[in-house]
Amino acid sequence: MKLIIHDLDELKFKRLFPDLPNSFRVVSNDGTIKKCVGCFGCWVKTPGACVIRDNYGDMGEWLAKSDEVIIISKCFYGGYSPFVKNVLDRSISYIHPYFATRNNEMHHKKRYNHTFETSVWFYGDDITEDEKATANKLVVANSINMISNIKGIHFVDSVEEIGGGIL
Amino acid sequence: MKPIKVSLMSGSPKPLSSASGALLDSLKPRLSDHFHVSFHNLNNTSVPEESMESFINSDILVLSFPLYVDGIPSHLLNCLYEMEINLKRHPRPDMTIYAIVNCGFFEGHQALPAIEMVKNWCHKADVTWGQGLGVGGGGMIQSLSGVPDGQGPKKNFSHALDALAFHINTGSEGEDIYISPNFPRIGYKIGAEMGWRHQSKMNGLNKKDLDRRLV
Repeated sequence: MKLIIHDLDELKFKRLFPDLPNSFRVVSNDGTIKKCVGCFGCWVKTPGACVIRDNYGDMGEWLAKSDEVIIISKCFYGGYSPFVKNVLDRSISYIHPYFATRNNEMHHKKRYNHTFETSVWFYGDDITEDEKATANKLVVANSINMISNIKGIHFVDSVEEIGGGIL
Repeated sequence: MKPIKVSLMSGSPKPLSSASGALLDSLKPRLSDHFHVSFHNLNNTSVPEESMESFINSDILVLSFPLYVDGIPSHLLNCLYEMEINLKRHPRPDMTIYAIVNCGFFEGHQALPAIEMVKNWCHKADVTWGQGLGVGGGGMIQSLSGVPDGQGPKKNFSHALDALAFHINTGSEGEDIYISPNFPRIGYKIGAEMGWRHQSKMNGLNKKDLDRRLV
């Protein structure tokens, strides 16, 4: 499965990507997402699933079923947009609360014997060079913590430039 | 002389008993007596009206927040965007911003992308960057409240807060600081994992439930 997490409005997304195969799952902003409250219930109460049962409570499971995760996000200060970041904040059930050492640093242990590839498309017509540098560091850090391989980090002025790049 | 207004803002989603709030509590006694200091919780996706008014009238903002997935928690990101919009209407290029980021990992330097994001926000919002502090071992911050300043596991922490307070008190820019606790990393790992087992037990789970896989 390929998982797309994006912050575009539904009509625009459908116009840009009209014929996605059934092998894609799309996580869009339906206006109902709740913020992560930092309770760690996804580790110590309902391990593997977020305790908030809105439409985004199963992100850990969806990541575990994905071969590739494609993120399309407006670039905010060298990071993701609030919606995309909210989805990622709600995804930590994918990893285990215990710690492991990678790159001589403390990170979380794997929950699943699984890895996925990540492609990130940052869009915005005013992304600065500093923001690009930060975004690159962020995606690398995410890939270490979420145990994924980076397939690509892209910066485009407008989402129209992505075209078939995600397929 | 007009008093210097300082807003201490906690960006934890927890309004009470957060490590971000505890860090601001530790910083406050180090700040100049001449400052007019106010404390605010940014624990929701929008900045409360009173906090926004205090912010826009501040000379100094100290933002303290937890590292979430290598970055700024989403609700706080939304608040920062609202603050940026407000600053476009009421420019404050003279306002200086300091950031304290606590992370659950041992190494404070894992907060670097988040601190850079706050710097990038300063650029977009046209305010002045002051200094960043990345604090590792965030999981033990609150348990150290009884340890005297500058002693044992608090040594790096206390020195870093002193350095940050110096720059805030003098309104100056400083090099970013990244610290880990003066405590063995293995000890921190063992303590944290005991904590997870204890919490899961309190929730009626056993040790193996922590490994649950849904796929």
